[in-house]
Amino acid sequence: MEAGEDRPRVGVDDWVASVETRKERRGGFAAAGRWVDAHLPPWARLAIFAALAATLPLWMDRGDLFAYGIFTLIYIMLGLGLNVVVGYAGLLDLGYVALFGFGAYFYALLSSEQYGIHWPSWISIPLVVTSTALLGLVLGIPSRRLLGDYLAIVTLFFGQAFVVFVNAANPTVAGKGLTGGPNGIADIDPNDIFGYELISRTQQYYFILGVVLLILIGLHFLSESRTGRAWRALREDPLAAEAMSMPVNRLKLMAFAFGAAIAGLAGCIFAAVLTAVTSGNFGLPILITIYAVVILGGIGSLTGVVIGAIVINVSFQFLAPENPQDNARLLFYAVIVLLLVLGVRPWWRLSVVFAGVAALGFVANAVAGAIDSSWTSGAVVEGGRLAGVISDWVIIPSGHDRFANIAYIALVVLVLTLTRVHGWWRTIVMIPTIYLAFVVWETSFVEQPSVARWILFGALLVFLMTVRPQGLLGTPRVEIV
Amino acid sequence: MDLPLAFNSELFTQLLVNGLTLGSLYGLIALGYSMVYGILKLLNFAHGDVYMIGAFVGYGVLTLLGGPLSPNVALAPLIVFMFLAAMLACGALGVVIERFAYRPLRDAPRIAPLISALGVSFFLQNSALLLFGAQFRSYDSFVLGSPNPEFFEPGPLTDAVFVVNGVNVQLIQVIVLATTAVLMVALTLLVAKTRIGKAMRATSFDREAAAMMGIDTDRVIASTFFIGSVLAGAAGVMFGLLFSQVFHFMGFLAGLKGFTAAVVGGIGSIPGAMLGGLLVGLAEAFAGGYLGGRWADLTVFGILILVLLIRPSGLLGTRAIQKV
Amino acid sequence: MRKALTAALTALAALATLAVAAGTAGGSTATAKSPTASDTAMITCGRTRTLGVAAPITGAAASIGTQQLRWARYWVTRYNARSRRTKFRVVQGDTQLPDTAQAIQVAERFASNSQMLGMVGPAGSQEVQVSTAPLRRGGIVNVSGSATRTSLTTDSTRRGYFFRTVPNDDQQGPRVANYIRGTLRHTRVAVVDAQNSYSTGLSDTVQSVLRSRGVTVQRESVNEADTTDFSSLVARIPANTQSVYIPWQLAPKAQLFGQQLRAAGKRAVLFGSDGLFDPDSFRIPGSFVSFFPINLSSPVIRAYRRGPGRGKSELFGLPSYAAADVVGKAIDKACANGTATRAEVRRFVNQTNIPKAQSLLGFRIKFVQRRQGVLGPGDMATPANFGIYRINNRGAYVRVS
Repeated sequence: MEAGEDRPRVGVDDWVASVETRKERRGGFAAAGRWVDAHLPPWARLAIFAALAATLPLWMDRGDLFAYGIFTLIYIMLGLGLNVVVGYAGLLDLGYVALFGFGAYFYALLSSEQYGIHWPSWISIPLVVTSTALLGLVLGIPSRRLLGDYLAIVTLFFGQAFVVFVNAANPTVAGKGLTGGPNGIADIDPNDIFGYELISRTQQYYFILGVVLLILIGLHFLSESRTGRAWRALREDPLAAEAMSMPVNRLKLMAFAFGAAIAGLAGCIFAAVLTAVTSGNFGLPILITIYAVVILGGIGSLTGVVIGAIVINVSFQFLAPENPQDNARLLFYAVIVLLLVLGVRPWWRLSVVFAGVAALGFVANAVAGAIDSSWTSGAVVEGGRLAGVISDWVIIPSGHDRFANIAYIALVVLVLTLTRVHGWWRTIVMIPTIYLAFVVWETSFVEQPSVARWILFGALLVFLMTVRPQGLLGTPRVEIV
Repeated sequence: MDLPLAFNSELFTQLLVNGLTLGSLYGLIALGYSMVYGILKLLNFAHGDVYMIGAFVGYGVLTLLGGPLSPNVALAPLIVFMFLAAMLACGALGVVIERFAYRPLRDAPRIAPLISALGVSFFLQNSALLLFGAQFRSYDSFVLGSPNPEFFEPGPLTDAVFVVNGVNVQLIQVIVLATTAVLMVALTLLVAKTRIGKAMRATSFDREAAAMMGIDTDRVIASTFFIGSVLAGAAGVMFGLLFSQVFHFMGFLAGLKGFTAAVVGGIGSIPGAMLGGLLVGLAEAFAGGYLGGRWADLTVFGILILVLLIRPSGLLGTRAIQKV
Repeated sequence: MRKALTAALTALAALATLAVAAGTAGGSTATAKSPTASDTAMITCGRTRTLGVAAPITGAAASIGTQQLRWARYWVTRYNARSRRTKFRVVQGDTQLPDTAQAIQVAERFASNSQMLGMVGPAGSQEVQVSTAPLRRGGIVNVSGSATRTSLTTDSTRRGYFFRTVPNDDQQGPRVANYIRGTLRHTRVAVVDAQNSYSTGLSDTVQSVLRSRGVTVQRESVNEADTTDFSSLVARIPANTQSVYIPWQLAPKAQLFGQQLRAAGKRAVLFGSDGLFDPDSFRIPGSFVSFFPINLSSPVIRAYRRGPGRGKSELFGLPSYAAADVVGKAIDKACANGTATRAEVRRFVNQTNIPKAQSLLGFRIKFVQRRQGVLGPGDMATPANFGIYRINNRGAYVRVS
């Protein structure tokens, strides 16, 4: 209990207002996370993040550094920019990715073979950032008249229009298609720091890390400033803010401009890292990912955005099919075990579940094999060292398409049922559910890992949102009727 | 820029008919969006994927009854079965989605259910990919019901029912327009005259007050999702009959257009959703017909942005009066 | 205190999981990371060899990517069934066309995968563009079954690294245009591109050749992937147009377009490019499709139909089978003495010489070494003639030229 809470406060229902403290007391790792977030000063968090991030190139190989390191940082940057618009000012901007695209294309035009212009980064990047900010301002102008979802639609159109313009319209300027049409713009120069070109992935990684740290520091000060507080007021209740004589329209435009500037910067870096840009890079899937990053982490929280980007990109890459599948299997099994260990209490119940699953597996396999040997004679794909155990434990029929589909649907039904039952019923239903999960993995996921990745990712989003709607580090709101 | 073709009343009529047909489809999808938004203030991004499942269910029924090239039943009952199956399946799916992905987020900040909806959308889309594969499935609607399908003799669906100004209006287009009209009327009657309709209106006006008045808001919300998804299922089968090719990604694209239509028409308003859908469909048809591929899409966006700038709450939306 | 402890424990658990995952993610051994994947690193070829396949397996282009993946896997299945001592296994990379960011991630990870000696793909020309730098650095050879942009080979920047088992745009375009003008004698033609890299190249070539031969060409454009209703496009094509050239990649969309065209009473003949060669999906009677001369009744294709194709031949993916063949054979040759480097594999790919009898493509597979005419280093030295097929009244493809 914080000091002073035992003093009665006028107009406040104590029981309702202390909900947060009660939740904290319940414990669990989410509460622990929030405790850390609340008690660790911002500079300490930044230092820890910087220290951990800086060690990445030392133990990751190049491909992983690119996929895990560089892309996570880019998503962090984009998330931070969107956080200014959505998290600080509360404006639903669905065209954000077009600003990102604009930054990338503009940088590409200034530093590639497209028109033979090769301006060094210290000129092109600031130019691109300022023009993207101006474009963001223009995009924000409809926000005067349009509220909420209508603004969302107009910005969405803008985003779509950008993609169509770049891909199909591609007007001819100075003898060449401006945006390269479906081919996009290729052979983009790498970023350079006053002549020192950033070519290797490690160099690029450290550069982007530096930029991200600077943005984090800048945004932290911005959010503590008058403008930041004004934005928060605007987000909470625009009408009250206006009544308090805050320049609401100007604040909205500033939010758009700031978010756009960060998007433009991210675009420059993205274009240089990829060395080529096409319209397909800036479509709706990226927009959705950036939104997921911001919302998952908790709107308005800088740490939240960082954590959200890490969770989303890392989980997405974990499940990538480029990973050798026997290791992916180990990971899948390990995650399920981890979830059980973290989620099921007390210990004896946990051991019941484990024993039950193991037993069910061997029994079911034996029974199925006895009834018809083709029911268990399917091959274990990429079994590796565990192939023998798996084929004795999981039912894999030969020619298993229909079986796999039915198993999958049964698994979905069981998982949904699991959320509805409690107590002992839950433990009992958990056993066939987990076994079925392994069956589905072996019969369909392992053969279509890319699809499995998206399915698991979607399920993860739903799960995270329903369990913690305010995001990992957001503050839950209690409504008093 | 491709020059617009010379004004030609036959072309105009053709584009009008196409636009109305396409617009009806978008309108049905938009209705689902609008109804759910009216009650929960939630943008249900998974709605487009429910529509896609409807199209696949229709295909499944078609395959069970012999397949498009050799159906076991006559054409009319076949189509009716497909519609019924898809509508029921999608309705059930909508209720399940609401129960598990949105109900826990009833009181959460408005953006959280958005991400949950996106998660459901990814899940549905890729489940369809997992279960049915990436290949397009064809209703073969052009030869459906034809006596010689293997010779590609057109079936009755493409027969001209009547001719307007030199333009053939095909049977399938008439079916789509008629079914949409019937569904719209049924929906309007439901909302205006029945008890559940009244409960829906009350809940969308003020959920807490409705609950205090003894209305079971959970059931009302579930019914709303059911009805919206039923309409999406019908739209899915219509799509299959009109355009033959169903694939896992179609929900994403159509859902976007449906969402656009709902907002342009005034989100939360039922006639507005239909109107918005027709507007989007007509804009697409006319822009595509007169301007050609490169600038058509941009023009459609331009038209819609203009509509929103002139009428910021959409065509039939009500200006929200905020009580201070 | 307990909270701090829990927090610390959770962080430790998370870090441990991360470490395990990262350790297992990049390569196949869980030992400490060191950049061993490179051009000249000698790796021991074990019993199981790794073949990478990069294709759009999910997303908007999933229908073509999965075909390529299945055909490449089919090659591996056949190889594994025949071979006693060695096996191949496939590592997939999902490039999610048209988002090239995924393609470059796949390229980087493949390049870092020390066990990978060669790869099939990427599928799209713009994907090849972004993947070139990382793949070159890693020294990995890539053989694509569908990237047809001519400049990929003719600009000679990928010599020795990039090969393709499909002819390029400049081989197909003039052949088609000359057939339309010379044999069909059409003078009013519409060309519709699909707003993607593949079709704009072909459309531009065909359009310019036709125009130079005095044909009136109406150029249209439609977003093939996103469009589900082609009625506006149909309305734009005047009734007196004699043929419509559609260099698209999604056969079902072309089928729909053709049917809507017919339903509108327009008699124009459809002419598809190799992307539409799909007897299961594109079957408008009277249409033409250009494709290289394969043996449609080959036992391999028939077996594929019965097996992984599940009743469909999915011929779009056929060149990926040939690509897997090229890479697989090269890896085998390089591994003949037990060890191999990526540079060796590249060399063997360059020296590929698969006789006609063994090649599924219908002709000998050899790669051009230097620029000659429209061919660049990495293109196949194919016989000059692309085949032209016509679809008869029963939907069957018959070669007419």
